[in-house]
Amino acid sequence: MKPHSNAAWGLMLPAALVMIFVAVLPLLAVLNYSFHDIFSLDKVFWVGTDWYEMIVVTPRFWASLGRSALFSTLALGIQLPLGIAIALMLRKIGPRGAVLMLMCLAIPLVVPTNMIAGLWLALIRPEGLGGQVMRALHLTLDYKFNPLHTWALILVVDTWHWLGLVVVLAYAGLSSIQPAYYQAAAVDSASRWAVFRWIELPQISGALWIVLLLRLVDSFMIYTEVMTINAGGPNDATTFLSLELGEDIKAYSYGTAAARAMVDFVFVLTLVWVFVKLRQTDDPEVGKAK
Amino acid sequence: MTRGGILRLFACIVLASFVLLPLGQAIFLSFTATLEADGRPIGTIGFHNYLKILQTPELRASVGNSITYVLLNVAFCLIAGLPAAYALARYSFIGDRHFLMFLLAFRVTPPVVLSLPIFILFARAGLVNSPIGIALVHCVFNLPIAIWILESFIAAIPRSFDEMAFLDGHSRTGFFVRFLIPAVAPGIAVAAFFCFIFSWVEVVFARILTVTAGKPITQAITALFTFRTDWGLVMAMTVFSLIPGVLMIFLVRNQLARGFVIRT
Repeated sequence: MKPHSNAAWGLMLPAALVMIFVAVLPLLAVLNYSFHDIFSLDKVFWVGTDWYEMIVVTPRFWASLGRSALFSTLALGIQLPLGIAIALMLRKIGPRGAVLMLMCLAIPLVVPTNMIAGLWLALIRPEGLGGQVMRALHLTLDYKFNPLHTWALILVVDTWHWLGLVVVLAYAGLSSIQPAYYQAAAVDSASRWAVFRWIELPQISGALWIVLLLRLVDSFMIYTEVMTINAGGPNDATTFLSLELGEDIKAYSYGTAAARAMVDFVFVLTLVWVFVKLRQTDDPEVGKAK
Repeated sequence: MTRGGILRLFACIVLASFVLLPLGQAIFLSFTATLEADGRPIGTIGFHNYLKILQTPELRASVGNSITYVLLNVAFCLIAGLPAAYALARYSFIGDRHFLMFLLAFRVTPPVVLSLPIFILFARAGLVNSPIGIALVHCVFNLPIAIWILESFIAAIPRSFDEMAFLDGHSRTGFFVRFLIPAVAPGIAVAAFFCFIFSWVEVVFARILTVTAGKPITQAITALFTFRTDWGLVMAMTVFSLIPGVLMIFLVRNQLARGFVIRT
């Protein structure tokens, strides 16, 4: 049980001030813009909830929302199990090999976001290595005009970019398990699944929840990679929520953009809320004083 | 070698190829002439793209700009994050859980959502075109990460550790500098690593906050895309931009592998 002390807020002050300046004030400003029509900074008119009404009646908005949700589901469905499986495998190959693989998997994390897709496009263009291999195997990748191919490419690129984060955090959790737990499991001749379910999973659950949340929201609002690969095409097949928002901002319609940003923020906030609730069911200690 | 061992070796090779393939292609292109220039035919292999980076002042400056704001951001996140993480790990107080929820919400707010007001606010505060501005705004997503990681590491240290130091007559500042920071050094390394990479790769805020000066590496790369893009140069710049990140990975490799538990 932690001692109760409201004086601890003194220690929180620097962090709280920074967050108020860079996050809370801007968000309040977005909320304010979303009720206005903004021609220029000194020509601003109150329009009430017009923008919101306009957004929610557009079928295109709901279609984008559906696509974003589908993309997040696919991305998480691939990256989480794959990342955990790789982390479990790395535990078996000895520390030297594991460190080497972790370093290798972490490299995509340090590639500037605007070059992630560029690296892949350079690889799969006809003169590129990937393009040549595909030609030799008589495979075609028509990511400009075939929506399935566009989706597949975006998923591969996103997995390439983020798999390392899942593996690094899962591996870190697995490494901190005391050998005594495994010995006890061996004495009880527990199955491999039982060891994973009752020893390994609880140990990495904290890290996994963070990865789950980060990947959920980042994939839900994916922008740069999708924009580079096919700018939302073909035929809007990869127009996600963030791309619609990006269009508004590029067209300088700040009122609509702000309203759209608020709607997107509410979705993200709902996801976080559901996440926290699920986490509390998973571990009743969370949210109580520890 | 057992059958399992061979399978694992095979899996590692496949995985490493998947990760390294696009990078290998980029490194190959970065040494290739992709546009005819200075009497060099297309396809010439050599260091000319890298030499061009060193000879172009804007490209050189962009590397310095990126490094400056990323290091500032890591410093801000650690200085503001450490006391907050300590408070959250050691005390319960009014609104502590709500504060964590609030951090979570802002970590996941997409930068595009906040970009316009941030620009207006920072323009008024004179923080546009300055590395301090970008370093501050990257705290939106990095400060929550730093606080989470540090809180997990501090919570793993028994409370008696603090009490011993206070009994010995150390002030809170003295305790932080002389005891807490050395004890959570691995956590600080891990937090610094994540702040570094998230700040290094970010493009939206870094773009809107650099109008005329202080352009980061990411912007310098974007500016290379023209009517006739010199892909070799683009790839050389991209490969160049990976060096600090790869160096960071190398420095914290053992901290990452040794293991830590993150609590939520």
